[in-house]
Amino acid sequence: MSDTTAAAAPLVTTAPAPGGAAAFTDRLRRPRTYAVLVASVLLLALPFYLDRFWLQAGLFAMAAAIGAIGLNMLTGATGQLSMGHAFFLAVGAYSYCILAGESSTENGHTLTGLGLPTWLAAILAVLLAGAAGGVFSPIAGRLRGAYLGIATLALIFIGQHVLFNAGSLTGGYNGRAVPPLSLFGFTFDDTEVVVAAVPFGSSEKLWYVGLAALLLSALFARGILRGRPGRAMNAIRDHRIAAGVMGVPVARYRAGVFVLSSMYAGLAGVLLALVFQRTVPEYFGMILSLEYLAMIVIGGLGSVAGAVVGAFFVSLLPQVLTHYSDSLPLVSAPGTGGLAPGEASRYLYGAAVVAVVLFLPGGLARLGIALPRVNRPKKSGEKK
Amino acid sequence: MKLRALTAVVAALTVTLVGCSGKATEGKGDEQDKAGIKTGPGVTSSTISLGVLTDMTGVYASLGKSVTQAQQLWAKQINAKGGICDRKIELTVRDHGYDPQKAIAGYTELEPKVLGFAQFIGSPFVAAVEQRIEGKDKGLVLPQAWSANLLGSPYIRVVGATYDVETINLIDHLLKEKRIAKGDKIGHVYFEGDYGENALTGSKHAAKEAGLTVVEQKIKPTDNDMTAQVAALKQAGVKAVVVSAGPRQAASLVGVAAATGFNVPVVGNNSAYAPQLLKTQAGPALLKDYYIASSTLPIGDPGDGPSLLAKEYASQYPNDVLDNGVVAGWTAASIFGEALDKACDNKDLTREGVDKALLTIKGYGTEFGVTHDFSDPAAPSTRESVIMKPDATAPGGLKVISPASVSDAAKSFTVK
Amino acid sequence: MTTFIELLLGGLSIGSVYALIALGFVVIFKATEVVNFAHASLLLAGGYVTAVLHDDIGFWPALLVGIAGAATVGAAIEFFVMRRYRGSDHSVLAIVTIGVDILLITELTRRMGTDVLALGDPWGNEVVNIGGITLAQTRIAAFLAAGLLITVFLLAFRYTSWGVSMRAAAENPQTAALMGIKLGRVSLAAWAVAGALAAVAALFLTVFPTPGLERATSLAALKAFPAAILGGLDSTTGALAGGLIVGVTESLATGYQSDLSFLGRGIGDLAPYLVMVAVLLIRPAGLFGTKELARV
Repeated sequence: MSDTTAAAAPLVTTAPAPGGAAAFTDRLRRPRTYAVLVASVLLLALPFYLDRFWLQAGLFAMAAAIGAIGLNMLTGATGQLSMGHAFFLAVGAYSYCILAGESSTENGHTLTGLGLPTWLAAILAVLLAGAAGGVFSPIAGRLRGAYLGIATLALIFIGQHVLFNAGSLTGGYNGRAVPPLSLFGFTFDDTEVVVAAVPFGSSEKLWYVGLAALLLSALFARGILRGRPGRAMNAIRDHRIAAGVMGVPVARYRAGVFVLSSMYAGLAGVLLALVFQRTVPEYFGMILSLEYLAMIVIGGLGSVAGAVVGAFFVSLLPQVLTHYSDSLPLVSAPGTGGLAPGEASRYLYGAAVVAVVLFLPGGLARLGIALPRVNRPKKSGEKK
Repeated sequence: MKLRALTAVVAALTVTLVGCSGKATEGKGDEQDKAGIKTGPGVTSSTISLGVLTDMTGVYASLGKSVTQAQQLWAKQINAKGGICDRKIELTVRDHGYDPQKAIAGYTELEPKVLGFAQFIGSPFVAAVEQRIEGKDKGLVLPQAWSANLLGSPYIRVVGATYDVETINLIDHLLKEKRIAKGDKIGHVYFEGDYGENALTGSKHAAKEAGLTVVEQKIKPTDNDMTAQVAALKQAGVKAVVVSAGPRQAASLVGVAAATGFNVPVVGNNSAYAPQLLKTQAGPALLKDYYIASSTLPIGDPGDGPSLLAKEYASQYPNDVLDNGVVAGWTAASIFGEALDKACDNKDLTREGVDKALLTIKGYGTEFGVTHDFSDPAAPSTRESVIMKPDATAPGGLKVISPASVSDAAKSFTVK
Repeated sequence: MTTFIELLLGGLSIGSVYALIALGFVVIFKATEVVNFAHASLLLAGGYVTAVLHDDIGFWPALLVGIAGAATVGAAIEFFVMRRYRGSDHSVLAIVTIGVDILLITELTRRMGTDVLALGDPWGNEVVNIGGITLAQTRIAAFLAAGLLITVFLLAFRYTSWGVSMRAAAENPQTAALMGIKLGRVSLAAWAVAGALAAVAALFLTVFPTPGLERATSLAALKAFPAAILGGLDSTTGALAGGLIVGVTESLATGYQSDLSFLGRGIGDLAPYLVMVAVLLIRPAGLFGTKELARV
């Protein structure tokens, strides 16, 4: 049994008992309930305070978190190394553009678009990303470990080749514009809507879409990881043959998780596209895949909270360092020589990957969760 | 039911919090200062803030560094002379390392604080924020990219000839020098992406005009060994090669061609050369039969403009390479300055005022050998190209062999 | 025909360089079962040391120091990082090497800045012409050097006690440890050898026809991944075959790209990966890899 399994296990097995009035009063006594309460109030109110830069950074982080949750189910919980996550993000992002966009001419490319309602396009894009994962599953189901990792690397190269070359679908090098999401007649674009005297642009509006998407994805993933499928996935990770002997349909599970993780990546891709307002092939490269792997390791393998914490760490770090580069020691503003913020953030998260695995097996998420759970009665332990 | 209670608490608290937001709309509109000059975002009574979105740690690091430092030098010089409109110029630099996410974040961060952008490297990123620039922001952006795809917007203005026009001029130079003739084949090695593809549009146009055939070889920025490309072009029997790629690819191509006895002239766009290359194995071959087109005189030119700039840049940044990025950066910044000057005369330092002022600039920039005309947003600011050749003795490693001129094929070419 | 032979020979010589990288990759995998994504940084480190020193101490000493330097970096990664994680999940270890790679590459690229560094090799841009077929001297040198190193390595692997302990450790670490083989030393040696091979590869990747060492050079290590996988990750023969296949595929796909234009231009970079995926579909453990017996 490996270190990480030991670390991830408490997260999976200590699910709170759901429902019941007693459970509710019990909940009220827990500090964690109040933490959640305060956090949700803060999250809901943020668009009224933060400027667009921070909202956008937050949205990038939310999209990353959704993608990282998917990858964490695949790599963290099931032990399948995937370097191709960026490809599925691209499938989601571009499918959305193609499905929702109108046919037009842009940058010398005649673009094809189906002009579907945007909400439908978003759902279909997620499904398409899953389908792309399904198409790859003959390989995903047969290969393990390093073989799978490098085989998925091929997806990135194939994906970028297609993105650059299929100009009429993808718009080539300069990408294509992303149609703004529109739900029940409300469009999440840059036209200003004034809410409580605060002008709402696309970032403010999308903030709530991002929150909702992240919440749903996180809850769904938590359900899977804490339930029977989660235990089966961990069994496959820890001992594939033993899992098979115990009756877990290993191949089916592995292919299934691959599809599910691709769908998460697809959803992250759609959200990213909406925030970017333009999809650019350059973005969906190997670096992005590596960042996702860094996220789940830093945050904590195998858990939803880990993926979210890691995603926020990795995607906010460069933004924070750049923004405050004038006032931070050691980091200097670009153009003045010295350590650039971009480099500083790479050092930090490279070191974080190495250090977290060494000193904090289970990731950063363990730090946050360990504290509020101390007082909690240990009754959920025997539920298993 | 219990859950609903919690939700209600959250909602109530949120509404309270929301009510006291400081972000509520205040007079964000234009103001007027004492001298009656209208000002908007990025302009205070004492400073004019300009944004610089550059790449100093990514693939275009060497270009980004030169351009940015040249622009910082320009700002310093202007401020030493008392600034523009009695205001100091302040450059805020953000290095995106050619990462789309950081580039977009940089734009979002700086946009509310600056009047416009004196530099924006990476045409995909410019394209990504184009909607925002044209929709609401309306700040002037001078990208350091020369793709025709960037033309057409009154706010995003390309300084210099676009790649297609430049390529046409390059091929015209070869025709004039009788290095190629009607019926010949020419090779074109180009990057994927709009730099290469835009240049290809140009070479195809020039080929059609002159009765040539283009043999295409598309490469990626990560390809550094051009052996296979040279073999293919040799096989096809091309009489000259156009290279629309980076300096490394150009060096490899020229080096391999020379070494394998494939003696044809090679011509490249302004991005296909860096003085550092002369120290590599390909150095001697580059000195022999390689030509570069650009929309400015090289930094090593004895003319007044370049030599003064070279001197000042070298004293400011003694350890850094002098290359054409320096001229390009300085030119872009000084054009922005010129627009600010005019906007100041019109008593309108708002974003719209600067955009309008730029439209009135014609015949600017003679000290760098090329005159720019910004009156038509749909056209490049010039169709002229200076043809240059590597030279180991000149600073910046280039000397002029044919002064700025525009070929007939480039004149008749409809951009975009 | 001449073009075909030129492309083929060019592909074989660059392929032999890829084989060197892939071999290092395979050696580490065999000894420790870790996929080393930090290989790119070993490559860059070796090249960087050689490039910086060659002016002062001459090319050959610089190359030796470069090789020793990369071997030391490799050994240091094993000693200070990987050793601490022994027993962890192998995917986690692979991700740790990504972290190491990010750190090293950032440091090296920051030092190199925007320069293109020459390595000062003795071959220059000389070419050899045999019956109308031209080939750069550096390419011939690459082919010979790679051939020599791979032969030496395979012999050592087969006949020296180091080779025997390495193979024993790869076969069954527990048993090997019980037989008195020091696993730590085996994996330390594996990392050092991989570093040394990468440094030699760095030399041949940055001499003529490429302009010199710069930050993007490390990307060449990416070509060694499909090479190692398609040969079979635990097979040294596989690394050799895989490297050559990747080199030749890439060279031919680039040279004949006008005939392959229906696949989109610039297919050369992609071709090795397509070949790899095709091979994996038929043989999930690569051409020469050990087949897995369990099937669940």
